[in-house]
Amino acid sequence: MENCQPPTPNPQSLGPLQGSRVVECGQMVAAAYATKLMADLGAEVIKVEEPAGDPARRRGPYPGQVSHLEKSGLFLYLNTNKLGVTLNLQTARGQDLLQRLLQEADLLVHNYPPAQMPALGLNYADLHQRNPRLVMTSISPFGQNGPHRDLHVHDLTMWSAGGIVYLSGASGRPDLPPLKAFGQQAGFQAGVNAAVGSLGALFSRLSSGQGQHVDVSAQESLVAIMENNYISWPYDHSVASRLGFRLIPQDVFQCRDGYIYLLAIEDHQWKNAAALMGNPEWATADIFQDFPSRSANWDALKPLLEDWVQDKSVQELYHAAQAKRVPFAPVSTMGDLLSSAHLNARGFFAEITHPEAGSLRYAGAPYRFSATPWALRRPAPCLGQHNDEVYGKLGLSQTELEELQNQGVL
Amino acid sequence: MTNNLPLAGIRVADFTWVWAGPFATLQLAHLGAEVIRIESQSRVCVTRRIPPFADGQAGPNRSGYYNQYNQGKASLSLNLKKPEGLAIAKKLVSISDVVSENFAAGVMDKMGLGYEVLRQNKPDLIMIAMSGYGASGPESAYVSYGPAQVPMSGLSALTGFPGFPPMHVGFSYGDPNGGLHGAFAVLAALMHRARSGEGQYIDLSQWETSVAVLGEAVMDQVMNGTQPPRMGNRDPYMAPHGLFRCQGEDRWVSIVIASEEEWQRLCTGMGQPGLAADSRFATLTARKQNEDALEEFLNAWTATCTAEEVTAKLQGVGVAAFPALTNKELAEDPHLRSRGFFVELPHHEVGARQHAGVPWVFSDTPCQVRRAAPCLGQDTDDVMQRVLGYSAQEIAGLKEREVLT
Repeated sequence: MENCQPPTPNPQSLGPLQGSRVVECGQMVAAAYATKLMADLGAEVIKVEEPAGDPARRRGPYPGQVSHLEKSGLFLYLNTNKLGVTLNLQTARGQDLLQRLLQEADLLVHNYPPAQMPALGLNYADLHQRNPRLVMTSISPFGQNGPHRDLHVHDLTMWSAGGIVYLSGASGRPDLPPLKAFGQQAGFQAGVNAAVGSLGALFSRLSSGQGQHVDVSAQESLVAIMENNYISWPYDHSVASRLGFRLIPQDVFQCRDGYIYLLAIEDHQWKNAAALMGNPEWATADIFQDFPSRSANWDALKPLLEDWVQDKSVQELYHAAQAKRVPFAPVSTMGDLLSSAHLNARGFFAEITHPEAGSLRYAGAPYRFSATPWALRRPAPCLGQHNDEVYGKLGLSQTELEELQNQGVL
Repeated sequence: MTNNLPLAGIRVADFTWVWAGPFATLQLAHLGAEVIRIESQSRVCVTRRIPPFADGQAGPNRSGYYNQYNQGKASLSLNLKKPEGLAIAKKLVSISDVVSENFAAGVMDKMGLGYEVLRQNKPDLIMIAMSGYGASGPESAYVSYGPAQVPMSGLSALTGFPGFPPMHVGFSYGDPNGGLHGAFAVLAALMHRARSGEGQYIDLSQWETSVAVLGEAVMDQVMNGTQPPRMGNRDPYMAPHGLFRCQGEDRWVSIVIASEEEWQRLCTGMGQPGLAADSRFATLTARKQNEDALEEFLNAWTATCTAEEVTAKLQGVGVAAFPALTNKELAEDPHLRSRGFFVELPHHEVGARQHAGVPWVFSDTPCQVRRAAPCLGQDTDDVMQRVLGYSAQEIAGLKEREVLT
């Protein structure tokens, strides 16, 4: 940023959300990602796990792919900057302790299914009575009401119920099924929506003094991001599918040392891309003269582009195209990202040492705040690591803690 | 009701365009902020030019793409190439709380609307820039389109059928994902400002927000020096895990089994309880080893049913199954309708269409879409008079001088 100097960061700052106290009762991705976003920006987040641990601990990747509760890459990533306690919410003592934790909290985020909430003491009316300022955000597959409320889901079935999977796959291969995106994307989307809703409710509380219940539906979070695909039914009665129309030219092409994504939608981009190719005669042929004709004649155009890129280097072609304002992009591997000069110059990756998993580099916060800088202050908690500290602050003695431990409450 | 919305009284001068930026400010509009999009006839937003158009008839106010993602906002038509237009933009910023933009890094500075300039008249301004690459680093000035975030972030290299090249995910995932992270960042900055009185500049990189949802793949690379292989719809820790063909044209159902208990229930749901003990499939390890046979077996069964029948049978025994819904099915979905998710508000040119609404329900301050997306420049007079205090005569003059176009 050459022309725009941000104000000098205040070294005392712990992030824009410092002072906010959050309790997370999360399993897997959605609630954990919502509160990770907050913890990374300075909120104090206490993660409450069942005594057996968040199921994310039992999912890899692991070093050497050897299972270990403290070494799950998914768990380590999702829970940076949080404190961790264990608590059995199926016991009355466990629920009582949660109530006491929430007495001091601004926000509770959880993703237990609606049908399980009453048995775990996650009843908003009761919680509100004890702490009227508490915001409670409930993330669920289909929301807190409606005929599908209690259906069983995992991430893929959610991606399917959200209408996204039907858009993805091999466009020329109707014999192949729709294709999921890597990872637990339904969870991440529900999570970031829950983070937005939660801060909205906390901001509202600044003036009202009152907390409220925020009901986040994973399905709705996905329907809300279908680009121009959902809306094509109400607007022109067309069904969107992976087998249908694509904005072209844009696709993955193989270079000699990897893959590149060619994208030249606008006419000036196509002209500059053609110049990069040395202005072959076919580039100005009638059948490729404008965006609609390049789309319509993609089957003829694609082999010509394949032929052009096959002996090129990804990085050379990428930088040469960008020098002409053509938005080609490398098809990055994780290794490419970790060695990217650009991402490293921005300090995107951050390293921290975890007592069991050791020193690792993590993907960092995807934004820079000029006055309240981000920091990776602590690694994800070991199972029950902060029981003594957190419950000690509630006034529990060492003897009581041991007793609760023996009773299976912690 | 409107006055009670979480962001009531917060004004956003919205210079964003295309999708990522407008999706960020859509969230702020849902929460009750007054979002004023600065648009221009001379640089019509890309999404106003992309289908679907209402009833197939093109026009800048008829695009479903634009009308979906600009609900609840106002449109001020302003020519920023004219000094008078620029002055009006600065005046609007000086009485706004938030400025949002998603141009390539440096573009706002070149227009004379950089953060340093803008904060002079509004010291506690919050400004968010949502460029493709972020405002610093050797590639910061590069051009980035939303669809390219899928390959750039690594999502393409992780997604695809085995033996196939990396694949796209079929829509421009980096845009809404970047926009949501942007909305979150603005809210965090508003919380900070409420406590400290201090505004700030937020430099968001869409590339980084796209990597942020792939954290475990980054960890695999860091821990093991390799990234997860492309495995289609399969999962290393669950089987079966996929989409299976059903009766009808291009109809599919997703089925996921995460434990031995769920596997036993699946067998019951298929009407073949004896299968549960079959040594080829009895444990996760066995199912992973014989996954081709397992999927063949499931496909043979699902092909005899509709996706809805499979879903009903399997959900009935507590197994995660759901049809791969189309946009048409979503629009007609009884569950979403019963939740009141859809929004149908009158629009000047396309009438009341069914748009996707707000994915979070607030118990006390219900967030809602308060108006349909604006036609281009629809609110120019209102913003100029009510918000900025120009007289009708001044506005007429500005129009004559082509400042408000």
